[in-house]
Amino acid sequence: MTDSGGMSLFLQRTFDSLANGSAYAALAVAISMVFRSTGVLNLAQGQLAMFSTYIALVFATGPSPYLKFSSNTDVLGAAWPIWAAILGAIVISMVIGAFTERVIIRPISADPVAAVGATLGLYLLLGAFVRKQWGGRTMFLGSPFPQTVDDRWDIGGARLWHDTLGITLTMIGVLGLLAVLQRRTKVGLAFRAVTSNRTGSVMVGIRVSRVLMLGWALAAGIGALAGGLIAGEINVRPDMMGRLLIFGLAAATLGGLRSPALAFIGGYLFAFLETMLGGYVSFIDSQVTLVWALLVLIIILFVRPSGLLPRGEAWQQR
Amino acid sequence: MATTMNAKDSTTSTPTRIVWAVISVAFAVLSLRVAFGATPKIVTDFSNSIALSLAFGGLVLLTHYLGLLSLGQGALVGVGAYAALHAVNDFGAPVVWMPLAGLLAGTLVGAVVAIPSLRLPKAYLALLTLSLAVAYPIILKQVDGNLPVTLHGAFVAPSWTGIAEKDEHIWEFFIVAGYAFVTLFLVQGLLRGPIGRAFIASRDEPEAARAFGVPVYRLRLYGVALSGGMAGLAGGLLMIPTNFNDYTHYPEELSIKMFALAMAFGGSRLISSVPAGLVLIFLPVWLIDRNWVVEYGWVGLFKSEGFIYAALLLATAYLTRGKGFMHLSERRKSETSVPVNRQASAVADKLVAIEDRLNQLEELVDERPDIRSRQEMPD
Repeated sequence: MTDSGGMSLFLQRTFDSLANGSAYAALAVAISMVFRSTGVLNLAQGQLAMFSTYIALVFATGPSPYLKFSSNTDVLGAAWPIWAAILGAIVISMVIGAFTERVIIRPISADPVAAVGATLGLYLLLGAFVRKQWGGRTMFLGSPFPQTVDDRWDIGGARLWHDTLGITLTMIGVLGLLAVLQRRTKVGLAFRAVTSNRTGSVMVGIRVSRVLMLGWALAAGIGALAGGLIAGEINVRPDMMGRLLIFGLAAATLGGLRSPALAFIGGYLFAFLETMLGGYVSFIDSQVTLVWALLVLIIILFVRPSGLLPRGEAWQQR
Repeated sequence: MATTMNAKDSTTSTPTRIVWAVISVAFAVLSLRVAFGATPKIVTDFSNSIALSLAFGGLVLLTHYLGLLSLGQGALVGVGAYAALHAVNDFGAPVVWMPLAGLLAGTLVGAVVAIPSLRLPKAYLALLTLSLAVAYPIILKQVDGNLPVTLHGAFVAPSWTGIAEKDEHIWEFFIVAGYAFVTLFLVQGLLRGPIGRAFIASRDEPEAARAFGVPVYRLRLYGVALSGGMAGLAGGLLMIPTNFNDYTHYPEELSIKMFALAMAFGGSRLISSVPAGLVLIFLPVWLIDRNWVVEYGWVGLFKSEGFIYAALLLATAYLTRGKGFMHLSERRKSETSVPVNRQASAVADKLVAIEDRLNQLEELVDERPDIRSRQEMPD
């Protein structure tokens, strides 16, 4: 292979990692946000995203004998455009996220084992619901961005697909907005205050419970967006988020489970690593990259237990 | 999670011993009745559930003694099954001893997962074990392929047992029960001694335990390795009645269901792992017998295994704060046996609150070093 051929292949693989990286980054940010604010590792984050993708599918499909939500399929009306379906799913997902925090997590948040158990209960409940309501078959949602063979740019001999770039930019834009919300608004200030000192926040009049509920709602919304966008790439199945969750957790670990910014970078980093390992190492196929991600995770924890966070910050959590 | 320790924990009164002796005899009689009276399918199911109760024992040790979360116990069972099967097929190990290969493999993998994650907050162990649970079937599929791998060996009962060659399931049942009984007996003895008390101390008051010379990190590492070893042994034992292994046996949902059952039935006694093993094996059988698994929609949801486990997890989380239903009776016992000095407790609570406030202030000062420098600046 010539140098330019090798370079364009490298570029192609880098482009290919962007869509997955966006999904990993979104899940990692959602996990970090929840863990940072409540100390609860939300293991149902991936299932929530999967569930909301099915909701988007129901909206986007319209009345269908396979995707009915109740016996009266006319409740939802005609099929919605994919963007609207994803937005609808995000709203529903945010409501579920807020409900989860208020009803399921808050009463038991003082006990981390009970809280993790409750998130696992939600994990199983959502999986069972989807399997029993819509079956276990693979379905197709489609992408909100153009997806034909001509919808691409040729850059340096590599193809950058419009939907890949669309997914990446959307995710970067949304997570950037989230960062602005956290840094520039009163709500964000309250969120940061609660995550850094909950007792102090109560004393200065911040309604901590509402802020936490908002955090869970936002995390669920981000997960729903990730699920809706990535569904066009990986199709919709009840187990579609298992793999993504592991990469998301690994990426969140890079940020010590406390830094959404580092978790975001970690998401793209892990996707890059996954694609490159699968592409350049002959004995690693696409399935086994997950194992390598796990190995990398173990090595990171061995070498740098605090992730990319400064050591003191991560060790304070003990 | 916190079980109040009291002086009675390490000693047992005579009536309690008699009750336990009666329960043990009844259990032995029931086992003989099952082994010789039930159909081969039921006997095999019982063998499987007894084997899995060891893995549950490991989980009870982790969650209820060490306050740690493992979401990969199913994967560790799979590791043990893989090691046991290949010890026979590839290295010619005797079939009766193959579960020990599982024990070794489970202990090693448990330790490898524990070494990095135990240095960090407890959530990391949960995270890493869940990753292991997801990754294990993929690894096994890659290593062993899509098709099941059959064990190259048979369990023929010695002639002195009087068990016919065609009734190998009975002999397998006794091998599994023997391994499980000895292991549970040894581990329960370990937990009732100083090591068990050190486990509880490292769970409830790690700082105080360190101050008293308890090596908390090493102790937790041994605990996770022991738990992994028990799961690995369970996997090795599963190979006795099952005789084959493939990647579909150990999905991540198995680990989550095991965690749910260990949480629900858990208490400070390993015996609580027995009902967990029975439910894990017999619940799907019961659902299939009633044709509930093929029902869909809302009714199908309420009759599904996933819903039942989810309800169990949520009920355990709410009603017992994650401590398990068996813990409810234990708590009542400990509350009656230890008189509480309310005044001393109130003073201790206030001291803890003051310490928390001081820590928060320290953190604030760390975040704003300029405040400290201004304070320290001479006028």
